[in-house]
Amino acid sequence: MTALPAAAQVKDRSRLSAPAPLNARQTGNNTFQFALANGLQVLVIPDHRAPVATQMLWFKVGGVDDPAGISGLAHFFEHMMFRGTKANPNDTFSQTIAKNGGDTNAFTDHDYTAFYEQIAKDRLPLAMKLEADRLQNLDLSDAHVGPERDVVLEERRMRVDNDPQSLMGEQMRAALHLSHPYGRPVIGWAEEVRRIDRVSAQDFYDHHYAPNNATLVIAGDVTPDEVRKMAQDAYGKVPSRELQPRSEPAEPPRLAETRMTITRADARVPLVNRLYRVPSYSTARPGIAEALEVYAQQMGGDQTSTLYRVLVEQKKLASDVGAGYDGYNRDAGEFSVYAVPRPGVSLEALEKAMDQVLAATAANPPAAADLARAKTGLVASVTYRRDSQFALASAYGQALTIGLTVDDVNEWPARIRAVTAQGVQKAAQSLSRKEAVTAWLVPGAAK
Amino acid sequence: MKRFLFAIAVLFAVPAQAATIQNIDLGKNAEVWFTEDHTVPIVAFSIALPAGSAYDPAGKAGLAAFAGAMMDEGAGPLDSKGFHQALGDKAIGFSARVDRDYLVISISTLKENAPEALHLLQLALTHPHFDAEPLARVRTQIVQSLQQDEAEPPRVSSRVFMRAFFGGHAYAHPTNGEIATISSITAADLRGFARTHWVSHGLKVAVAGDITAPVLQKLLGTTFTPVSNHVPPPLPPVGRLGQPGVHVIPLAVPQPTATFGLPGIMRNDPDFIPGYVANYILGGGGFSSRLTDEIRVKRGLTYGVSTSLSSMNRASIWVGSVATRADAIRQTVQVVKDTMQTFADTGPTQAELDDAKTYLTGSFPLAFASNSGTAAQLGAFQRQNLDIGYVTRRNGLIQAVTLADVKRVSKRLFDPARLTVVIGGSPADNRPQRPERPLPPGAPVPPARPAQGQRALANAPPPRSLEKPLAGPVTTPAPTPGTP
Repeated sequence: MTALPAAAQVKDRSRLSAPAPLNARQTGNNTFQFALANGLQVLVIPDHRAPVATQMLWFKVGGVDDPAGISGLAHFFEHMMFRGTKANPNDTFSQTIAKNGGDTNAFTDHDYTAFYEQIAKDRLPLAMKLEADRLQNLDLSDAHVGPERDVVLEERRMRVDNDPQSLMGEQMRAALHLSHPYGRPVIGWAEEVRRIDRVSAQDFYDHHYAPNNATLVIAGDVTPDEVRKMAQDAYGKVPSRELQPRSEPAEPPRLAETRMTITRADARVPLVNRLYRVPSYSTARPGIAEALEVYAQQMGGDQTSTLYRVLVEQKKLASDVGAGYDGYNRDAGEFSVYAVPRPGVSLEALEKAMDQVLAATAANPPAAADLARAKTGLVASVTYRRDSQFALASAYGQALTIGLTVDDVNEWPARIRAVTAQGVQKAAQSLSRKEAVTAWLVPGAAK
Repeated sequence: MKRFLFAIAVLFAVPAQAATIQNIDLGKNAEVWFTEDHTVPIVAFSIALPAGSAYDPAGKAGLAAFAGAMMDEGAGPLDSKGFHQALGDKAIGFSARVDRDYLVISISTLKENAPEALHLLQLALTHPHFDAEPLARVRTQIVQSLQQDEAEPPRVSSRVFMRAFFGGHAYAHPTNGEIATISSITAADLRGFARTHWVSHGLKVAVAGDITAPVLQKLLGTTFTPVSNHVPPPLPPVGRLGQPGVHVIPLAVPQPTATFGLPGIMRNDPDFIPGYVANYILGGGGFSSRLTDEIRVKRGLTYGVSTSLSSMNRASIWVGSVATRADAIRQTVQVVKDTMQTFADTGPTQAELDDAKTYLTGSFPLAFASNSGTAAQLGAFQRQNLDIGYVTRRNGLIQAVTLADVKRVSKRLFDPARLTVVIGGSPADNRPQRPERPLPPGAPVPPARPAQGQRALANAPPPRSLEKPLAGPVTTPAPTPGTP
């Protein structure tokens, strides 16, 4: 697979020029959509169990949009959104949300940045006004940029530098993507984070933060009409902006598998880990991503999975295994497999056994009971997700932001049910070591 | 540019469910709280038994957690594989964790599978297998997790802190045990622990979701009637708390973690609620806290500093942690102490108190926005031995706290001279890299997990390197379910 999903991205951009109608339109069992004249897309998910609401504002900007040489800027910028505006200086934003009984935070990934508040429903207009304020009036002074850059470097030390598995993942992604910015860590290389300054932050803000680059998702004790009025009041006057086009890197074909061994004194337990570059929900032909999802669940989703049964329980080579599919990306997805050896088992022997299981699943379709169990778990996860406003709002916000539709989200359970044993076998056959990085994490003194 | 004027009114929010929490009668030694909601076709259970790590026998630290980790590894007619498949076939979420006082089992199920989910629980409680194959496998998993913990500064600092703080008490040892003790535990040990401690006397059950009271009552009766209801042995009382001073556990890492703490206030002490409010203002409230303002916002020294006041059955502790680069850790600990001292001397401002109250009362309904959240919150109240009416009284108790209350309690709580500090990691300075105060006897260098020994039973987590996306910037760690 040498994917560059040009089609998906064009589709993504074209949506901005054709906003949905202003009146809220029902687009699913319990979802309503409309758009403001300035291009802000809005999705409403009513849930009347408690008098609270969740607001999420998703921007089509993330780590892939970091300028060359300044990795980590998008994530750093997410932090800066909490550093104040002229009207609401310093940490007034967080303080005001807290004073009103709300929680707020944000997160950044390669493809998106999202901000959220969870608050009593009668405080939703306040949360909207605060978001609209920092969407257009951020105060990016040096006095804020310096300390926040230090905070991000501490965050990096905590999440990555102190954690051998996290360092391993960072090195593997850097090797997996030959050219694509998915290879750069979202938090940024420390050496480049240190280069971030007021000018780069301002430039980023001016070209990415605008209503026409965002999707607002409101879940909770609200009606679509209420939200339409509130959103118009709060966000309607925020001007749209000329956006900087998103980075559209081409990914060349890989000619060989990449392997690495990382030896660390702070790794106390060995690990073999493999990442494959595979199609995503945005780039795959119909059914392919769903088959990869079912394959990952059946291979390594829980203790009934094939890898667990064979490597952990039967052959007793591993103490833990897993497989996962990350398909919610604008560009390529990732399929991952890992195994932790039992004491005395070499990584070489374990990887060989892991490859035998992978080969067996490519040679034969899964047993009916295993396929059914994997599909049952995935389909049920959608019902469980409905229990949480946050999880529900996130699922739609993420999908819309990477170029999928509400229908894609709503039809997902039916598409999972439609996956066949042959489809899973084909998914297994599609994994190519040429499109993969394999890494060993080895305890010991670094050389 | 337009200026927004934000009117800040005081919220007297009461959770929507407050009026609808029902008591289900399951006999005098068990407590069942239930919230009925048919919006989503699932049922969430939080079930607690007094079978926490404090009941580990001498030399068998980690036994309670080991037994909890074996709950889904075979019971009744099902072997390990059969039990996992029974859960998977019905997409039942089943996990057990052990804290110092309790074994807490969380179950989520589609409503039509609730009988099957509780049947599996009954088998696990009454006919656990502890077969050789899963026992060896789970032992290896726990030992490897303890080995990795030895290199992780937050793990090292918090486990050594608890050792230092609780000295010889049963709360001192890590919930997940030590490599040596886990290695010595036998199937007979596990069986004996389950027989003695997995009992319905003192059982606490919180349920939320798509089921009715009569159906639930019958289901729970069937589930727990076969569970032994003998009285489990009591916990020993706690002696002196704390080992004041700074203790360093050297580790070659870029970012050490300091865990610090003081004796807290017991849950049934009238000062608990004022103490809870005081903690919010000093260190519990994320961006609203004085410690975050001093250490993160003003100085850029850390990604996260947070504190909590937590009460267990036999002791209460005020504890916090902060991580920063090696050459700033001592300075950061000093800022913690200075900020505490100022707070103890002058207390909060009226505005800080008002803001704390509006957050703590206004955010309370957020805990009840989902079935799983409601079950977890009600379960946390039950484990603090509160009565069912507390849910409706709680916000009024917080509203009643006065400035004088918080000042008085802050003086009682926050004494930097008594602070026990454990640094996991090596401060970059010229001081000797060894404990500066003697650690209590029996405190070996590193091993094990902090307060919660938690192992997802049904789902193996991916390596952390594969987690996405990057969360930020607010870092108040998810509190153990349970807003006091």
